Amino acid sequence: MTKLEAKNIVKNFGHNGYKLKALDNVNLKIEDGDFVCLVGPSGCGKSTFLRIVAGLDTPDGGEILFDGKPVTSTGPERILVFQEGALFPWLKVRDNVEFGLKIAGIPKDEREQISNRYLEMMQLTKFANSYTFQLSTGMKQRVAIARALAMDPDVLLMDEPFASLDAQTRDLLLVELQLIWEKTKKTIVFVTHNVAEAVVLGNKVIVMKHRPTSVKKEISIDYKRPRLTEDENLLKFQKEIISELRPEVTEKSSSE
Amino acid sequence: MAKYLGKKIAFYVILVAVWQVVAMADIWPNTIFPSPSEVAEDLAYGAADGSLFYGIATSMWRLIVGLSIAIAGGVVLGIFMARVEIVNQTIGSLVLGLQSIPSIAWVPIAILWFGLTDSGIIFVTAIGAIFAVTINTYTGVKNIDPNYIAAARNMGAKGSQLVTYVLIPAAFPYMISGFKQGWAFAWRGVIGAELLFSFLGLGFLLNVGRQLNDVSQVIAIMIVIMGMGILIDGFVFKRIENKVMYRWGLR
Ligand SMILES: Nc1ncnc2c1ncn2[C@@H]1O[C@H](COP(=O)(O)OP(=O)(O)OP(=O)(O)O)[C@@H](O)[C@H]1O
Ligand SMILES: [Mg+2]
Repeated sequence: MTKLEAKNIVKNFGHNGYKLKALDNVNLKIEDGDFVCLVGPSGCGKSTFLRIVAGLDTPDGGEILFDGKPVTSTGPERILVFQEGALFPWLKVRDNVEFGLKIAGIPKDEREQISNRYLEMMQLTKFANSYTFQLSTGMKQRVAIARALAMDPDVLLMDEPFASLDAQTRDLLLVELQLIWEKTKKTIVFVTHNVAEAVVLGNKVIVMKHRPTSVKKEISIDYKRPRLTEDENLLKFQKEIISELRPEVTEKSSSE
Repeated sequence: MAKYLGKKIAFYVILVAVWQVVAMADIWPNTIFPSPSEVAEDLAYGAADGSLFYGIATSMWRLIVGLSIAIAGGVVLGIFMARVEIVNQTIGSLVLGLQSIPSIAWVPIAILWFGLTDSGIIFVTAIGAIFAVTINTYTGVKNIDPNYIAAARNMGAKGSQLVTYVLIPAAFPYMISGFKQGWAFAWRGVIGAELLFSFLGLGFLLNVGRQLNDVSQVIAIMIVIMGMGILIDGFVFKRIENKVMYRWGLR
């Protein structure tokens, strides 16, 4: 069953008078329970696309269908993990994780049960009462993921959540995220720069073109899980993706 | 801070000692330049007959009511200005103008509107403080990281929930400086208005001192006004500020 469908998504931005065409007819279909990775050159509009799927931005053309129905606003079934985390500094870690639950009016003890579960999953139990400035970058990223999971969304939209992590923490979370996905059967759309990360995580990797952006190629990764970054059998997928991606990245540097 | 505590105390002891010596040198008559012991006597006298505490309580009560109105009104106005551009362009421009009026300049109109009443003094206090709160709240809300608002919206927050759970706490570091400025303006406003309204409170006691030609009472009340200011600044606003700064990791 198709969970998410992007139909001819167009998005333009004004930049001091001239019009910047960011997304130019992005079309893609994402099946229920799929794990899809989006890769593309920097500035091609990956974050913009996720924001549109989340309902935080409106496209200038085309539409997003969620379970066949057009998306017109944000909804708790589509939760975005921001590129910069966007944790609330005025709240403790636990309260950050419980934020959406509190908004939804879920009683305190139930909220606590849920936050305990995800804090434990992200190995943050000890830091439940810390403020975000007391956490490392990797820990903040894990709080952001816990906060999103606590909302129990159908679709998890993740915008380079591991970009600022050290290699060891990233490898841990790469395995963890695969386990979470297998356990919860959520649909995940995961944006990354890192091709190795994309082939470890994705069932499908979607390569985006240089701006104005559309979908260049979809590559299926059929391989057992949990996958590890150092697995050499994944290299051939990486090579395929890189050969698709390289012309896009070089076009970017020649045109800017 | 504690490191300097001893030096601070020493400074004040020396200050009072020098004052005492100068007063005892009889350069000026002590009806014009009283000694600290005379001022202390006056304070003790005022404390003993209760007039001092009554004055403090009256002024404080007016301050609290006036400042509460200013904070409530200023926060609401500031948020509206920051979130609704038409409000900013219209009321916002007026706020900038009104802010330049010293609170004392509101006294005549307060007397005309409210007569010589508590309400008049509270009006002057509130109006003197409200614009500082408004402008700082506005700046604070304008400076909120848009991703905080986007994340909150994504998790279902809108309308009043967005205001109470995101806009206010996210803007709070700015708002607290607005409250501090507002409090300073309000305290000046209360005392100034009481001087002119001549109707109870510390400002009124100052005026009584002047009418009785009692310089030491005037100085005694000024010291009380200063002391209250230091106390409220240190125990109320500094504390809140430190707490907020700590949470945000700004200290
Ligand atoms: N609010 C905005 N106003 C104007 N232009 C914008 C805005 N947001 C994004 N853009 C432009 O749209 C393009 C796509 O931006 P976006 O952030 O989606 O890229 P990205 O693919 O996520 O890049 P990165 O990989 O570096 O995160 C960029 O050229 C950017 O300048
Ligand atoms: Mg991005």
